Amino acid sequence: MEAQYPNIYHDVIERCRKGDTKAQFELYKLYYKPMYNVCLRMVGNEVEAEDVMQEAFLNALTKIDTYEGKVSFGAWLKRIVINRSLDQLKKRKVKFEELNEKIPDEEPASLHIGEIQMEYLKKAIQKLPDGFRVVLSLYLLEGYDHEEIAQILGITNVSSRTQFLRAKLKLREMLQKEELFEYN
Amino acid sequence: MNDELERLILNNRTSIQDEEPLEGHFERFEARLQKAAKPTRRINFQPFLKIAAMVVFALLAVNQARIYFFPEKTETLSLGSISPEYREVEFYYTNAIQLGMNQWDKLKKEGFISETEQQMMQKEQAEFDQMYQKLIEDLKANPDDERVINAMLEYYQARMNVITMIINKLQEVKQQKYQKDEIKI
Repeated sequence: MEAQYPNIYHDVIERCRKGDTKAQFELYKLYYKPMYNVCLRMVGNEVEAEDVMQEAFLNALTKIDTYEGKVSFGAWLKRIVINRSLDQLKKRKVKFEELNEKIPDEEPASLHIGEIQMEYLKKAIQKLPDGFRVVLSLYLLEGYDHEEIAQILGITNVSSRTQFLRAKLKLREMLQKEELFEYN
Repeated sequence: MNDELERLILNNRTSIQDEEPLEGHFERFEARLQKAAKPTRRINFQPFLKIAAMVVFALLAVNQARIYFFPEKTETLSLGSISPEYREVEFYYTNAIQLGMNQWDKLKKEGFISETEQQMMQKEQAEFDQMYQKLIEDLKANPDDERVINAMLEYYQARMNVITMIINKLQEVKQQKYQKDEIKI
């Protein structure tokens, strides 16, 4: 209790601890959106993402007593959401291991970024293979560093880096194709 | 690191992360929340069930121990269990009956008892055993009833008398046979 993280929604969290169903629903309303987006980026499918996100909420609520307040509540919840998403991916037998192959140095950006519309970018990220999409989202969108990603996924730091680089290459390739398609 | 693609994504984090779940997700979550809330009540029964199981187990263990350490208590009831005096009486009769049976066995070995006589004796003994079982049942139901105790005593007496009578007759026959043999010699 000494190192209590100053949560904005401290009151709601405390009521959730007491098993107040109203507060639990309130908590969901407060956090569902960022959590859903994490899930969506990880599992890559809207229906599954919702299911996993809600499951993660229920899971978090049952073990809310283990939240010690060392990190923000959102960060704590996000880790649970990520773990549940990983469980979902494991069902699909997604492997995060990485071959020790040489990754070509990043090619000069021949991308006309200004012309890429947000929608394409979102779609392209969505279409990335599971392993790539997860690492890319965790790194760029969720702001974890490679050390943390390695720990979360149970892979090496180097694997996380190579996976990320390959994800970027793949994404760029996809966007270029999209661009060509647009012009033709 | 700072390539354009990365920057593009980083700069548009919020709009990329701006997806809404499918319509009706609030209702779906509420339903799940309620469904999840119910079992918690049921789970509360588990400690009680555990305690109940422990109590039952403890009782069983104690009972088992009692049977193991104090087997006398469960010993079959008989006339002797009423008082020390009756125990003596019972001992006297059972001893006498046993003695008679031993003699019977001895005579049987010596060949003085025919097959039909043996069968008769077996039948007689079976009848006595049956009667004894019935008396024990009565005694169990009314341990202090004088009539039952008297019936028990009569039973022992009768059984002993029958056996001594038979043995005496057989001994007579045996004696006569010996005398005959002696005369022959």
